[in-house]
Amino acid sequence: MTFNKTMTLLLAGAAMTLSASVATAQTNLRVFVSSQHRPDVWRKAFDMYEAKNPNVKVTIETGGNTSEQQAQYLNTVMTAKDSSLDVMILDVIRPAQYAAAGWTVPFNEVIGQDVKAYMDRYLPAYAEANTVDGKVVALPAFADAMFLYYRKDLLEKHGIQPPQTWEELAAAAKKITAAENDPNLQGLSFQGKAIEGAVCTFLLPYWSMGKQLVADGKLSFDKEAAVKSLKLWKDFVDSGVAKKNIAEVATDDTRKEFQAGNVVFAVNWSYAWGQFQGAESAVKDKVGVVKLPAVQGGQPASCLGGWEWGVSAFSNNKTEAQKFVQFISSPDVSEFMAINASLLPQFPQVYSDVDVVKAVPWFASAKPVVETAKARPVTPRYNEVSEIIRTTVNGVLAGQQTPEQGAEQMEGRLRRVLR
Amino acid sequence: MSHETTANNRSIFSGKPLRILIGFILVVNGMFPALWILFTSLKTESELTLKPITWLPHAPTVANYLRAFTDQPLLLFLFNSFMVAILSTALTLFVSVLAAYALARLQIRGRDLILSAIIAVSTFPLVTLLVPLFEIMRALGLLNTWVALILPYTVLSLPVCTLILVSFFEGIPRDLENSAMIDGCTRIGALFKVVVPLSAPGVFTAGILAFVNAWDEFLLALSFNSNPMLRTLPVGITLYQGEFAFPWPVISAALVVGIVPVAVLIVIFQERVVSGLTSGGIKG
Amino acid sequence: MATASETTLVTTRNESGTKWWTRFLDPSEGTLAALLLLPTALLLTLIIVYPVCRLIWTSFQNLSLTSGLPASFAGLENYSLMLDDPVFWETTWNTVLITLITVPGALLVGLALALMANLPFNVKWPVRLSLLIPWALPLSFAGLIFAWFFHSEYGVVNDVLRRIGFEGVIWFNSANWAFAAICLTIIWKTSSFMALIILAGLQTIPRSLYEAADVDGAGRLRQFFEITLPLLKPAIVVALIFRTITALQTFDIPFTMTRGGPGTSTATLAMYIHQNTVDFLDLGYGSALAVVMFVLSMGVTAVYLRMIRARG
Repeated sequence: MTFNKTMTLLLAGAAMTLSASVATAQTNLRVFVSSQHRPDVWRKAFDMYEAKNPNVKVTIETGGNTSEQQAQYLNTVMTAKDSSLDVMILDVIRPAQYAAAGWTVPFNEVIGQDVKAYMDRYLPAYAEANTVDGKVVALPAFADAMFLYYRKDLLEKHGIQPPQTWEELAAAAKKITAAENDPNLQGLSFQGKAIEGAVCTFLLPYWSMGKQLVADGKLSFDKEAAVKSLKLWKDFVDSGVAKKNIAEVATDDTRKEFQAGNVVFAVNWSYAWGQFQGAESAVKDKVGVVKLPAVQGGQPASCLGGWEWGVSAFSNNKTEAQKFVQFISSPDVSEFMAINASLLPQFPQVYSDVDVVKAVPWFASAKPVVETAKARPVTPRYNEVSEIIRTTVNGVLAGQQTPEQGAEQMEGRLRRVLR
Repeated sequence: MSHETTANNRSIFSGKPLRILIGFILVVNGMFPALWILFTSLKTESELTLKPITWLPHAPTVANYLRAFTDQPLLLFLFNSFMVAILSTALTLFVSVLAAYALARLQIRGRDLILSAIIAVSTFPLVTLLVPLFEIMRALGLLNTWVALILPYTVLSLPVCTLILVSFFEGIPRDLENSAMIDGCTRIGALFKVVVPLSAPGVFTAGILAFVNAWDEFLLALSFNSNPMLRTLPVGITLYQGEFAFPWPVISAALVVGIVPVAVLIVIFQERVVSGLTSGGIKG
Repeated sequence: MATASETTLVTTRNESGTKWWTRFLDPSEGTLAALLLLPTALLLTLIIVYPVCRLIWTSFQNLSLTSGLPASFAGLENYSLMLDDPVFWETTWNTVLITLITVPGALLVGLALALMANLPFNVKWPVRLSLLIPWALPLSFAGLIFAWFFHSEYGVVNDVLRRIGFEGVIWFNSANWAFAAICLTIIWKTSSFMALIILAGLQTIPRSLYEAADVDGAGRLRQFFEITLPLLKPAIVVALIFRTITALQTFDIPFTMTRGGPGTSTATLAMYIHQNTVDFLDLGYGSALAVVMFVLSMGVTAVYLRMIRARG
């Protein structure tokens, strides 16, 4: 009896000291990484942090294959006030949303005195996207923007310069497709499916006309510009520059079709470049990339992409998590990710880094595009705004509504949401 | 073979070749979609993009099946679906056996009212309760757990299972039960030792219906369990489509994997299922 | 609570306790019944009754989880917003249209399948299986399979159309074709359930009725309309009501086939509720939408209950 009792006590004591030492010595950080952004390479960056901070252990969690699915997952985790995630990667449209909902904690305290100087190190668009009312709500993970990819070989063959305006693009596309006489060759591919990319599709010409969608949290909808934007895309379909079922085309469909050699011009994000130059590509070394065209008389505009690191308000290790995020949002990690995962850097100087230039030469031409890219509207109700825009674009391209009707409905619905 | 004794077997269609043709139409209508997805799952990606399309796979491959299990945690989806379906079936049977016994055997005032209420629940649109259920599960910390699905699925099948069991229990002679009780059984003892075993076909039928209901459910599983590790099969497969791609051959393979368990269940218990469906649907 | 039901049950027992053993067990029977029904009552309270109350309450509130603000009373605001929300009207109309097309559609196809399946086949299992498989297939699987069927380039439907000399249709690029594809899929998926129920009804019709009609010289068509159909009516009515209620909740098939596209032209009310709840986290508005659907389906259920009562 006594022996048993002593043993139990001893064991309990040992267990307690053991768990106590674990609790003080080891912080376990759970990090949500989007599965489409090379979690394998991020893992290596996290390993570097673990090596420097032996008391921190980082676990990766991935979930959902698309930005929307990931948002849904995070929605349920956050609304449940679940502490199981400490750090999460967020599409650039979400930090403001998450801050408004009270789901993330600001970095100001960890950054210390000069918050502005700290944020000024990043490309201005990212400093802006992650700052809400003076609070730093997330730190940039990497940059992205939309580009115009074109078939260098075909343009050269027909003596055409990369287009500066959408009108020039239409003319060039018609000329090339007519001369090539290949029924499989499309002039232009862009995103017409009701996905997040279609929001950018709508905004590209709209922004190019110098218009804003939201200013100071209020809707500043320019209906005329909206009609023109929708009409521009619809005309591409009607005139045969884009294919008839463009309303079914998602981002990777554009990539695949261009990669198979069936597209002259394509609007796409930076990830496409690596695939176009890959071994399986039919257009390897025949691809050019430039900034997107402007509308006649307007400024060229691109859509700002990229992802950010936020720290959950329900995390039990907020400070430790923020220190970790400061590390993975540093120029060193940015350079590492640029070289190893072809993710565009969020720091201007990394673009001219020797090793980066060697690994991904085209990043040099990407920098001005990223610098001038515009951010999608910042609002806590972004999900609704996005849904309204993308379903309208999709409906107009499918011939379900005229551009005028589409713009009208879009305005009415946006007004309700941003009332 | 009660079929022969009935209505239309003497119709204009009684000629043998015509009958074979009609049987063929029925089988094609029922099986073709599943067969087509089986063919698709055996084709390579390049064969799939041939124009015009091929019908039978030229060079059948199981590569898509390997990818279906490795691209996404398909095994985990299967496991989640199985556990949720089996646990909710068990709970449904337990609860509905008790309720059906009370309704079939005990003197209850307002029995008709209770039965009507149960029928009303059987037609209840669970979709409308998405918000409150979401909030309840959130408040109880049950989002992203099996329990968040087991409880609603139990309610989903409870009415039909109760009705099936009531009609089976009513068909069991009371004398059997009484003699068990004379031998010293309690009422509950008699229920589980005599009534339930004698109604085994009914319990089985109810169980299969509850299982299929839970296996098929989509909306709640999609809404409450967004964590990929906790997805059920229908949700997991639907969300195979990636940020940029919709891999049809892999989805087809995953679909085949998802169809097989239910198909096996149906093949083995076809007559039970038919009788259950019709008694549950018609007796009301 | 238990005692309340106990007393009511005890009084009943005194009036109708006819057998000796019922009287023998008198003291416990009421309690026993209450106990046996308790789990059902608890579950229904947790999953149906309480949520319904909460749903109605939330529909009068401003509650958006993305705003970071606590819930506040909004009166009828959610409902008035709904009235001038074009997507609410569109999705409700789509839901009604799907119901109006697919319920009779599934009935006709189901009736045809049942009549065919009722023929005296030598081997019965293939026919039975071909009715059971579509029934057992998850709706979402049916949606995915048919989305592949209707694929504009690699789908088997367009392949067949091209082979017989038509041009392929880009199904999901047009509201009407997409809607047609969805309705066809729903009819295929649900007609097997109809067929199974009607088949069971067919098999209860005594053969003697047809023999008598033969003697009277009634033709097959007349027999169908004067014997088969009237006798099938009860089975058909029940199947129809079940189908109507599930059609009003249509979600899985359009969600997997089109996600409501192009635009919002194939989205249903259930999809809109889901979107507002899960994607937008606007629980107040989502609840108001759900109340509308609740009222719609309760109306159908009321008709259903009345019919059952009429049948005794």
